[in-house]
Amino acid sequence: MTLSHDMNDRGIAMHNRISNIRHAPKRLLATALLAGTILAAGGLGNAAIAQEKVVIAVSPLGADSNLYWTTTGAFIFPSMQTLVGNDPETGGYDNSQLAESWEHSDGFKTWTFKLHPNATFNGDWGPVTSADVVHSFNLHIGEDAKLSGISRFREMTITAVDDHTVRFDLPSPDPDFLFSHAGRGSLVIYSKAQFDAEGLEGYETAPAGSGPFQYEGREVGQSLTFSTIADHWSGVTAEFDQIEFRWVSEPSTRFAMLSAGEAHAVTLPRDLSDDAMEAGQTVLSSTAGAMQSTMLFTGQFMNPEAEENRDARTYAWADVRVREAVNRALDRDAILEVLYGEGVQALPVYTMDPRFPGYSEEIATGFDDAFGYDPERAMELLADAGYPDAFDNAAIPLVVTSLAGNPEFAQMAELVQAYLDVVGIETEMREQDWATGNTAIRGFTADFVTPMRNAPVRPSALGVQIFFTKHASPHLDVGDPELNELGAMLIDETDPATRDQLLQDMFTRIFETYAHIPMASVPASVAVNSELVEGWTFPGSTSSGLSHYHLIDLK
Amino acid sequence: MLLYLTRRIASSLFALLVISVIVFLLSHLSGSPVDALLPDDATQEQVDSFIREWGLDKPLWQQYLTFLGNALQGDFGTSLKWPGEDAMGFVLDRMPATLKLGGLAILISVVIALPLGIAAAVYKGSPIDSLAQVFALLGQSMPNFWLGIILIWVFSVWLGWLPTSGTGTFAHSILPAIAIAWFQVSALARLTRSSMLEVLDAEYIKLARVKGVSETQVIWKHALRNAAVVPLTYFGILAASILTGSVVIETVFSWPGMGWVAIEAIRGRDFPVVQAVIIAYAVIYMLSNLVVDLLYVVVDPRIRHG
Repeated sequence: MTLSHDMNDRGIAMHNRISNIRHAPKRLLATALLAGTILAAGGLGNAAIAQEKVVIAVSPLGADSNLYWTTTGAFIFPSMQTLVGNDPETGGYDNSQLAESWEHSDGFKTWTFKLHPNATFNGDWGPVTSADVVHSFNLHIGEDAKLSGISRFREMTITAVDDHTVRFDLPSPDPDFLFSHAGRGSLVIYSKAQFDAEGLEGYETAPAGSGPFQYEGREVGQSLTFSTIADHWSGVTAEFDQIEFRWVSEPSTRFAMLSAGEAHAVTLPRDLSDDAMEAGQTVLSSTAGAMQSTMLFTGQFMNPEAEENRDARTYAWADVRVREAVNRALDRDAILEVLYGEGVQALPVYTMDPRFPGYSEEIATGFDDAFGYDPERAMELLADAGYPDAFDNAAIPLVVTSLAGNPEFAQMAELVQAYLDVVGIETEMREQDWATGNTAIRGFTADFVTPMRNAPVRPSALGVQIFFTKHASPHLDVGDPELNELGAMLIDETDPATRDQLLQDMFTRIFETYAHIPMASVPASVAVNSELVEGWTFPGSTSSGLSHYHLIDLK
Repeated sequence: MLLYLTRRIASSLFALLVISVIVFLLSHLSGSPVDALLPDDATQEQVDSFIREWGLDKPLWQQYLTFLGNALQGDFGTSLKWPGEDAMGFVLDRMPATLKLGGLAILISVVIALPLGIAAAVYKGSPIDSLAQVFALLGQSMPNFWLGIILIWVFSVWLGWLPTSGTGTFAHSILPAIAIAWFQVSALARLTRSSMLEVLDAEYIKLARVKGVSETQVIWKHALRNAAVVPLTYFGILAASILTGSVVIETVFSWPGMGWVAIEAIRGRDFPVVQAVIIAYAVIYMLSNLVVDLLYVVVDPRIRHG
């Protein structure tokens, strides 16, 4: 009896064990689904919040601080304002920021700005006055300033004419002064009243701005959050309550955030943008060109005299026939389609832009004839130049690098190499990070051909001086006496027509001497979640390419 | 034993000194922070001012001595990328996030790997063993950043169960912890299996079985106790690897830990933070190994009495 009972118990236990094993997968599945449902429920909560809060995921900033002047100016908080705005449709200057109007002297050496009389700082810090502009100016020209273009500001003086009028006196004419005050953002206006009350600590904790959003807080290196001002002095109001910027390094993660509905908009490299569109998301482009790209020959290769540190005349590209051959060897249509997609136009001369003076229709129309894809002509030119035997440094080092915001740079070098190889131009791929390349360029030891960008697109007069002459950034000077002479004349010239002609002459010289390898004029783009975002108009006028966040149109 | 410990601590300190030299040289030889932190069109005046401000104009040996003197006081300077932040303070502020993620990953590793390794050894040649081998092979073959992205797509995008990235809730830590743990589960499971197989074949185990000791006791008491030395050795490496090896995963999941700081600082040429984070990692590694050495003393009486 006992034995039988024991056997029975064992049988039941065995049955239970088998039953447990049989049902284990079902239980496991049920548990997993339950867990998933609970977790997903949490996620749905987030999605609901996301409708009130717009989330934009982008690459982390080079420098991350509430003190704008200590950064390179890559990102202007939507809570802060400059003096001059950019029209969202055209990119042209407008009075949507703090200056209601402006005027300049005949010689472009004095610029006077009148502030909007009703402009106020958020958070009860009072009206925006000339004192705030002067105070901000002084902060921006301090020793800790790293802003692009701030050295020009250090040479000028600022005067508060009255409560709502400020005057800038410049040491030399600057017809493009508005550029520094618009999307480029060399001067962002902080509240003097807040500084007087709280000092820099106040700015570090929560800087008061005058924009249509109010600073809410930051997770260092992770995110920045702003709330919408319901009754902003300018009359503009976003249709959502909050906007959060998340710094996410990995592009695949940003893409996943977009696909999962965690982000309304993300910046993506070209290949992932295509994937995003295939997945039903929308890629929006800026209304105007946000960036120009090129590959620059480095060194003063057009200098008839040897450089102090290195004689760039030994480089293969010191011979104009080689430079032309390099340009003729490239099928730009194919390259640009791979790098940027369809519809991106080739750029005739880097830094020349139809929005600015100096634009030459003649150069633009003659581009195909002079730079068009012609491998046979490239080979003829090389043979004529005796390439490679007649050159000490026949191989052209191409820099393979990447730069935040320009993931296409590495591929650009690889594509150029492939085309140069076809016509027999020897190349050497040089993998180096952006900073290393810059070290060589600044040290006048650069002996390579490197990708370069112009973002935001500078006024031509500024761009051409920076990238081709000795007058703005001597380390990028190609060493051409004629270009440098034209550049010197441009500095002092104030007559618009003459300036236009001088610029055209400079662009013609660059064009005719094949002084670089122009690539493209590219709009800024952002991928948006098609189910959450209807549209967003932005001109691509800032360093990051993004702006006008109050115009994000939700579904 | 005291002599043993003194030697271990002294060698650790010497290693730390060597690491400080390497870190200092590498962070300076790999390029100038000037070019990463100043805009492309910075003037020479801006460059000169920056160089003066950060003492980059002094001889390298002088910079190193200054660095070492300050480092001994925990002062690695202020961050270049996160202006105003103390470099070591910034790194240490991120340590809890890394410990949280690493702790979860270690927990997952141990909870899965030990039973898996034991089961694979006990049922050698069975489907359980094969399954464990496949699991281990996958874990050791898949790059963890790739696994991380796959996990994001499956569990966040397709199923919508978990957040893709960031921090805030426990749910945020699940995917990155799994991505870190899988490789370690594989390594630990394989080690446990091979160690258990060796022990299960030993004479005293056979004797225990002949004496009628239950199989559960044979495996969990007699065999595991002796086989545990090998996984225990690896545990120190595992803990350190998980804490220091989270660099890529923290970046993929935008998890604000020390690994994320390391990558961001390297990208930004923020060498005060790079130096601080590497020294912090070195200390973690050494402490982990020191703890393991101490555990050896506890487990192996030969060291205690040697």
